[in-house]
Amino acid sequence: MRHGVLTSLAAVAALSAAALAAQTTAGAETTSAKKSWTVPRLADGHPDLQGIWTNATITPLERPGQFAGKATVSDAEAAKFEHQNNDNLYGDRRSADAERDRDHAYNALFFDRGTELARVDGVKRTSLIVDPPDGKIPPLTPEARNRMGNRVRNRFDSVQDRPLGERCILGFGSTSGPPMMPVLYNNNYQIVQTPAAIMILVEMVHDVRYIHMDRREHLPGSVRLWLGDSIGHWEGDTLVVDSTNFTDKTSFRGSSPNMHIVERFTRVENGTILYKWTIDDPESFTRPFSAEYPFRAAVGPIFEYACHEGNYAMPDILGGARAADAKQKN
Amino acid sequence: MRSPLGGWPISFAAAAVCAIFVLSARAQSPVYKAPRTADGKPNLNGIWQAVNTANWDLQGHTAQASHILSLGAQGAEPGGVGVVEGGEIPYLREAFAQKQKNYANRFQDDPEIKCYQPGVPRATYLPFPFQIVQSKGVILISYEFANATRTIYMENAPDSPTDYWMGHSVGHWEGDTLVVSVTNLDDRTWFDRAGDYHSDALHVTERYTPISPDAMNYEATIEDPKVFSRPWKISLPLYKHLEKNARLMEFRCVEFVEDLIYGPYYKHPVVAN
Amino acid sequence: MRAKLAVLFAAAGLLAAGLPAWAHHAFAAEFDAKRPVHFTGTVTKVELINPHSWIHIDVKNTDGTVTNWMFEAGSPNVLLRRGFNKNTIAVGTEVVVDGYQSKDGSLRANGRDITLPNGQKLFLGSQGTGAPYEEKKEQQ
Repeated sequence: MRHGVLTSLAAVAALSAAALAAQTTAGAETTSAKKSWTVPRLADGHPDLQGIWTNATITPLERPGQFAGKATVSDAEAAKFEHQNNDNLYGDRRSADAERDRDHAYNALFFDRGTELARVDGVKRTSLIVDPPDGKIPPLTPEARNRMGNRVRNRFDSVQDRPLGERCILGFGSTSGPPMMPVLYNNNYQIVQTPAAIMILVEMVHDVRYIHMDRREHLPGSVRLWLGDSIGHWEGDTLVVDSTNFTDKTSFRGSSPNMHIVERFTRVENGTILYKWTIDDPESFTRPFSAEYPFRAAVGPIFEYACHEGNYAMPDILGGARAADAKQKN
Repeated sequence: MRSPLGGWPISFAAAAVCAIFVLSARAQSPVYKAPRTADGKPNLNGIWQAVNTANWDLQGHTAQASHILSLGAQGAEPGGVGVVEGGEIPYLREAFAQKQKNYANRFQDDPEIKCYQPGVPRATYLPFPFQIVQSKGVILISYEFANATRTIYMENAPDSPTDYWMGHSVGHWEGDTLVVSVTNLDDRTWFDRAGDYHSDALHVTERYTPISPDAMNYEATIEDPKVFSRPWKISLPLYKHLEKNARLMEFRCVEFVEDLIYGPYYKHPVVAN
Repeated sequence: MRAKLAVLFAAAGLLAAGLPAWAHHAFAAEFDAKRPVHFTGTVTKVELINPHSWIHIDVKNTDGTVTNWMFEAGSPNVLLRRGFNKNTIAVGTEVVVDGYQSKDGSLRANGRDITLPNGQKLFLGSQGTGAPYEEKKEQQ
């Protein structure tokens, strides 16, 4: 029996090495390979975006201070940052300090954030945000600051005090989006495409985004959706997706329900979709802002992420708070 | 369009018209040939829904009063002639005792109450629509209830490393019929509100056959030697949503059941009566 | 208000340093750093479920009775993608586990390490797990 476990572990190690090798080669395509590749198309003539994709990257949304003024870095500079980051993220996270030790219980085997900075146009990027040019989210409006300041944090009175990710209502960190952001793990997406509808299956919380290709107008403002109302059209070989009608239950870095986001998907080379988005939300941000990063071909399948059904943690979390309440009373 | 019952997006009148249309279409051409997708397969794309009371009870049943007094007629169970071929579900003797126990506790134990993903075949005949997005290698079915999802592998099906609430689906075409073999189903789902259930040995074979431009027949053969004495089959039509602006809405029901599930752990506890 | 904004910007700062700010839930709310636990036991059930996997372990007490503990690990999907399946850790496997008990005092803990009798560590808190990044480090 024990032998079985070890054999499996060896198999896992071999698989991992193979996956990593595949990842590395995909990143360094030769010019000749690029030339011979043509965009695959469906019968309707539009690019075929189908497949399983990952947006995992360690490039942060906003540019870190150490890269101020530098939107891109050489591979050598990138490697330094990657080593430092990966040692922190994937290295031994045990600690003599009990609180740190407890909090670092997730480790390398559960993380799947990638090991490299995002590469766009052959060059490594220091932030996902490309506009404003400083790579930072523009300042919030006073109204948005107010809204953010009033949000409940670190309260455990009822489940409604807890974040949506913890409640298994949405994946944490805007995985389903829009915008679809890379997070710590399970950054996997499956695109299924027909002329009238394009579906993006998001691994986290088995969410499905529908992009309606057969509708030009958004739903009436009285209809609000967690993932927004997404309508799409083609501009040349780029899929352009326009989303509005969000609820007041989600917020992307301070956005309001009236956020308007436009996403663009373009197959730029074999195994890569370039994903760009622009958020315009004058109620929340002092100017529009844009990001771009690749979605790269990934090994499937997408596994079911039945979060709510297995959310044993929620009673523990609330129960822990009640135990603390009782202690305080005594 | 939705009635206060919350689950009937198509009116009964529309359903009746559909049914008449199906019958006449059948009468005119015994073998209906569906429109094709670009790769020459029957085109099942669209938003579909069952219009029956199978989710209350797969077997024939009479209407009965609501178990919640204040809901009156709104919460009452409508009757139905049943969708099980031959009428009876062939339970093994001990399994039948479990079903009866489930029935007695159905308003506490039915996983639908907790917004758990419904499994197969129940997802098909819940009173909510679902959308089929059909591509060559893969067919995605997305259900409005609990935003449950299934991927049906038509090519290069991987193995399933573990069990899933929505199972593991591998499909192929037999003429105009989409045949889907579903395994690796989690044993915690039920078939209906009457407590009909299964074990982890469940194997479901589904058959989706277009019978008119706006309807298809759905069959599911249920095999589970731990619970049933022989394979048995349900059969029901599925109707296409024809509204111009039809789309799946979100029924992200987790937020509707949190007080029920976690209420006892609140600072000011909430307990269902 | 200013204090709240400071919290907000501190969170942004974490991101800027390239550290992940989110996981499904923080273990700090669920488990008590003042209650470390360390057991030898036998695996009775492995739930490769989301959002986090749970490993059930029978632990023999000094008085001969047996207590069943549950240890929380991470999301199984990454493990499945790396070739794990529901039989990888078989029921009956003997393991040494350490972690921190839940704050409500129930018999649950977050797993920091699971170690097989031969010293092989399985997929919780520390190094030597066979994760891709470590593989890559070794190759360098």
